[in-house]
Amino acid sequence: MNQRFAKGLVSAAWGLAAVGILIVLWELYKWVGETTNIPLPANYDDASMPHIWVILGGFFEPEVRGSDTAVWQTVAAGAGRSLLIAVGGFVIGVSIGLLLAILMERSQLAERSLLPYVIASQTVPLIALAPLVVGIGNRIKIGEFQWTQTQSVMLIAAYLAFFPISVGALRGLKAPTAAHLELMRSYAAKPNAILWKLRFPSSIPYLIPALKVSAAAAIVGTVVAEISTGARGGVGRLIVEYAREATSQPGKVYVAVFGAALLGLIGAGLVTLIDVIATRNLPREGVA
Amino acid sequence: MNPARIHAVWPPLVFGVSFLLLWELIVYVNEIKPYLLPAPSLIATNFGTDLALMFETASYTATTALMGLVIGSILGILVALLAQRLGIVRKLVTPLALALATVPIIALTPILNNLFDITTRTPRVVVTSIIVFFPVFVNVSRGLLNVAPVQLELMRSLAATPRTVLRVLRVPNSVPFLFTGLKVAAPLAVIAALVAEYFGGPQVGLGSRIASAAANTAYGRAWAYVVASIVTGLIFYFAVLAAERATVPWVGRTANTRG
Amino acid sequence: MSAVDAVAAKSIWKVFNPGKANEVTALEDVDLKVAAGEFVSLIGPSGCGKSTLLRVIADLTEPTKGEIQVAGKSAHEARLEQRYGIAFQQAALFDWRTVIRNIELPMELKGWDKSKRETRAKELLELVQLPDFANHRPWELSGGMQQRVAIARALALDPSLLLMDEPFGALDEMTRERMQNELLAIRQATGKSVIFVTHSIPEAVYLSDTVVVMSPRPGRITRRIAVSFGTRNEELRESPEFFEHVTQVREALRAR
Repeated sequence: MNQRFAKGLVSAAWGLAAVGILIVLWELYKWVGETTNIPLPANYDDASMPHIWVILGGFFEPEVRGSDTAVWQTVAAGAGRSLLIAVGGFVIGVSIGLLLAILMERSQLAERSLLPYVIASQTVPLIALAPLVVGIGNRIKIGEFQWTQTQSVMLIAAYLAFFPISVGALRGLKAPTAAHLELMRSYAAKPNAILWKLRFPSSIPYLIPALKVSAAAAIVGTVVAEISTGARGGVGRLIVEYAREATSQPGKVYVAVFGAALLGLIGAGLVTLIDVIATRNLPREGVA
Repeated sequence: MNPARIHAVWPPLVFGVSFLLLWELIVYVNEIKPYLLPAPSLIATNFGTDLALMFETASYTATTALMGLVIGSILGILVALLAQRLGIVRKLVTPLALALATVPIIALTPILNNLFDITTRTPRVVVTSIIVFFPVFVNVSRGLLNVAPVQLELMRSLAATPRTVLRVLRVPNSVPFLFTGLKVAAPLAVIAALVAEYFGGPQVGLGSRIASAAANTAYGRAWAYVVASIVTGLIFYFAVLAAERATVPWVGRTANTRG
Repeated sequence: MSAVDAVAAKSIWKVFNPGKANEVTALEDVDLKVAAGEFVSLIGPSGCGKSTLLRVIADLTEPTKGEIQVAGKSAHEARLEQRYGIAFQQAALFDWRTVIRNIELPMELKGWDKSKRETRAKELLELVQLPDFANHRPWELSGGMQQRVAIARALALDPSLLLMDEPFGALDEMTRERMQNELLAIRQATGKSVIFVTHSIPEAVYLSDTVVVMSPRPGRITRRIAVSFGTRNEELRESPEFFEHVTQVREALRAR
């Protein structure tokens, strides 16, 4: 465990070095653009490609002129809000995905009917539905309940999170070997007992990578859905708004993108935490 | 078609058809307005009447996706080769690739829109390339590295230099891994090309048209564009699948696993 | 036959992870001589260092101590000059090459031109009785056929020494016996020296001029048993003299 931790630290140090090199290249590109006549593919003016220190300064600029709120505070709040929505979508998506996987494992017919669609849906741009989901949501009102943009965003996040988990879970539930299944049968175990005592535990090594994909999908889904819904407050919306202010405050949009990136890392971190807890009793390498 | 094929095809076919029929029925019986949920028949009509437009719109996004797929894959392969030969490149790029895999890269689009000319396709191609780069890089690297130890011993017994080992063993060994990466990257390229259109720029592709049709309450047409997006995504995926079957027919039945 | 020994290994030591908690002495003071044209089997339980000894001779790994000559040269020079051919338990064929192109690989790396390679590869396909499979892919062949291709590849540059690391270990018993007969025929036709690692007693006795018995922890050579039969064929397998030798090897293995 300690060795693994040390390895992670070394790797992180190399990653930071890589970021450092990228920063140097960024400034070098800008310098070449501004001091020579060499034609370059990307713009290097201060509005499109601000200096690194301008970007860093962007964190502490006031949100609007004379406001007490710094940009980083707004972005942190937005990222927090987006994270909550993504987590909500993730939980809903994972629950539905698991239920579907159990259904497909139990019923041959369900598997053969549904699985082709589940697999195909991973290869098609379902996110194209985002603007339509919003359009539908805006018009749903049941009694006191008004469907909000937040719920639309969460629905899209859940939708994207659900597919990887159903495929991964199904593969995991089917992972037990014939010998394991025959052993359970020799005990006259009921299907529910087989599910909880054998199938579910053996699916964990398959579930973890699927959860990672799902978490990333939920976060991308949230950010993209926020952009197309115009749901205020989320980090996705902030990216679009700040991009428009690039001429006056070029650093701001980078702060918002940084917030979105951090969101992804936090999501991956949360899943890694689940991984560590769920697999503490399993051999380190390889699927049991 | 042989019996086994029919056996595999009918359940999803029955499910798909009954799903569409049920959808149609619910819309018809409850008189659901098209802005909530258009009937499949309405979507199909829209798709049929605007077929030329559908094709034109889809080809714009498909072109972006294809350009990004090609550029991103070439870069991914080149960097993977470089990382295989130079330890320092490997150490620098690997943690970056791992971290970026969890990040919504598509969020870079507004920045790229400023860096490149927003009135052109360029920023969209750039973001698609970046998104494609990572799965290709990760998988090709794996293929260059994960060579059977016995094959390395064989190359050593033949007194092969590291360069020869790369050319004769590692590169061909990585081809099936390249396809694994491309199968992930190809649908991602379509998604990226489409979503990049939501961030402004020329209003010509599937993403732009879905958004504007939805805004103009032309819901039947918007859903028809969604169908066109799905078809585009499937074409990309199956094209990669067909190329894989043709190029590496031994995948899944390798000689080395049979001893 | 020349007077130079095919292999002369003197007091070979191989220690893995020296000085660490998991230190293992794989070879302890091993001497091995293989005369030109001789067929020597290395036999012993798992972990006795027989594969390590083969790898040291092939210069795939370096000995901790000791000196090895292959055809009068150092093991390193012998590898660079391709003085031996090697076959492993896994056929280790390249899926992306046809059968004939797999056999051509060593010649390609030597820089032979195409027509010369093809002529030689076709000869070898005849020798291993696969003339009709030149353009098949490895994954279309059975395990035994794959192993024959691997042997053809080992013979590609006509080396005087053949190193074989349990080449028939993954085959079923019937295929295995057929392959043994073919190996004997190939050796008869080419006069190669062979070092053959196995853990099958009948296999070692049936094939070898000398059976070298090894014991584990640390890996040492405990006995050398000379085997001389007039003709080796299916009848030999059932003859009393064959069983005598089998018993002799079995007892040597048990004695430790």
